[in-house]
Amino acid sequence: MSKTNSFKKFFGKKLTLRQKEAMYGRLFILPWVIGLIVFFIIPFINSVYYTFQKLSLGENGLEFSFIGWENYIYAFTKDPDYFKNLTSSITNMIYEVPIVVVFSIFVAYLLKDEFKGRTFARTIFFFPVIIASGVVITVLKENVLGGSTSNMVASSTTIFKAENLRAVLINAGIPRWFSMYVVDIVNKIFDLTWRSGVQILLILAALHNIPKSFYEVAIIEGATEWEKFWKITFPMISPTVYVAIIYSIIDYFTDYGNQVMRMVVNEANKGRFEYSTTIAIIYFLVVMIIILIVNRFIGKRVVYLT
Amino acid sequence: MKSVKGLSMLYINERLNVNEITKSVAKKRLFIVLKNIFLYAFVICMSYILLYPILFLISNALRSKEDLFDPSVIWIPKHITFTNFEYANVLLSYPTAIKNTLLMLVPSVIIQTFICMMVGYGFARFRFAEREILFTILLFTIVVPLQTIIVPLYVKFRYFDFLYIGRLLGFITGKPLTVNLLDTPWPFYILNLFGMGIRSSLYIFVFRQFFRNMPVELEEAAKIDGCGPFTTFIRIMVPNATGAIITVMLFSIVWHWNDYYVSAMFYNENLPISVMLTVLNNRMSMIQDAYNFSSEDIYLIGSTVLEAGCLMVILPLIVIYIIGQRYFTESIERTGIVG
Repeated sequence: MSKTNSFKKFFGKKLTLRQKEAMYGRLFILPWVIGLIVFFIIPFINSVYYTFQKLSLGENGLEFSFIGWENYIYAFTKDPDYFKNLTSSITNMIYEVPIVVVFSIFVAYLLKDEFKGRTFARTIFFFPVIIASGVVITVLKENVLGGSTSNMVASSTTIFKAENLRAVLINAGIPRWFSMYVVDIVNKIFDLTWRSGVQILLILAALHNIPKSFYEVAIIEGATEWEKFWKITFPMISPTVYVAIIYSIIDYFTDYGNQVMRMVVNEANKGRFEYSTTIAIIYFLVVMIIILIVNRFIGKRVVYLT
Repeated sequence: MKSVKGLSMLYINERLNVNEITKSVAKKRLFIVLKNIFLYAFVICMSYILLYPILFLISNALRSKEDLFDPSVIWIPKHITFTNFEYANVLLSYPTAIKNTLLMLVPSVIIQTFICMMVGYGFARFRFAEREILFTILLFTIVVPLQTIIVPLYVKFRYFDFLYIGRLLGFITGKPLTVNLLDTPWPFYILNLFGMGIRSSLYIFVFRQFFRNMPVELEEAAKIDGCGPFTTFIRIMVPNATGAIITVMLFSIVWHWNDYYVSAMFYNENLPISVMLTVLNNRMSMIQDAYNFSSEDIYLIGSTVLEAGCLMVILPLIVIYIIGQRYFTESIERTGIVG
């Protein structure tokens, strides 16, 4: 406890327990706070500053000229794609994230119990975690799902085509917009399963963390499988489901395949850094608002044991 | 539990029909069989979906030029060839690129895991006034990707001076002292050291959730035995967090390996493997000269070479995964990762 003594000497007075706890807490998060200021807040303010400028390559490197809200006005009123892409990626998120999360819970529940070949199944289900980020998936999507031009044979064997399904649904008298959504989801099955690896992993770990005694009590009380799931399993994994929801939302929005993200990268590649930053900042303000809303509605319903 | 309930009823209530019990047992058995059929069907279908791209890559990477337009070749090529890998090896400068990646990856992963664990613990277990607001900011940093701040960061690492010490010295010597950290792995180390590396905020979040659900009694016992908070953290919490550590490390390895956007910004020459893959198509002329190919040949084999390159890039990850997966999947069961 020599540390405490030196602090006592330093401050010249005895700290209360509460104050001591707070001080240690601050020490633990200190590296992150420094990083936050130096490598996040200052660059972020710089970026916001850029959005009010016009960047051009002059003789002395980059040259700035102040243009006010021009970039923002351009993004909302003149850019033909931006607003459209922004709204479509938000609406897509609203139905894709629940599907990913429910699917992950379902798969994790299946993989929890012992059965022959479980290890093998788990190995395969977590497999996308390895490749689902980064450059390979981009190449894969272009080659496997898009069908490359130089490879006629392969492109004819695209896995999921739901064209027939749409005809069936529309003939069955289901409203057009709804059947469009269904077809859209079916078309994205590959994408969605590939994106749920991390969530399955998180939820599976949480499932294994539930004390067995809870279920034993439930069995003695005569609970059905259905009741056990909703009264024990679901509340117990709710903190993790919450993490999985937040993760899915972020993963969806920061995915390189996302239309808005692609715009951000493309604009940056064209050298229009100030415009790329502008649309990125608007985009992430919107995403932040969505996350705060989700946090408000779901965060309070999460059950913590301690 | 129906049968358990039924059995206990049997003891209490002798009027119960034995037939009913056998019926319910048979019903249960049927349910189990149906469940198994469904389970295996589901697992097999999913395995196909999840493995399809890899099988596709392998099948295509092994194809020779003749197989590309042969409609009778579906999965197994008739003329299996490894030349695509040979070309990809040259185009990616495979050994150098792997070395560059590892130089960046290994220290980054270790630093990142430790720092995130520390910060996560600080958020989970200590109460202080500004904790909630800082945590909200943490959430915010998860959402804001590096794209928005990459240009200022680029400038920062081009003219790097630690905590403005160089600039302070500049007032004495007349010229600010700055270091160019581009083309070295140092930007990654520094960002990770201060909890701002690739997806660091997410790992902090994961560790925070994990520590929050650990029993408080462990720490109380340590405190009574005279451990300070740092000793408690190192000697009690870290050994108990193996599951979370392994998971975060695996993710960290994967994301550092796969990252190409940040690396492309910070590297000009010592390109890591993932950036190499993105420029592979532009480097095709390298093999054109070396192997005397016509531009038509290049067009034809372009995609198969790219697919071979993809396989070579993810191969080390797959090997790590297959070696580590047993320990990894078991650790999920033993300790659990996230509360």
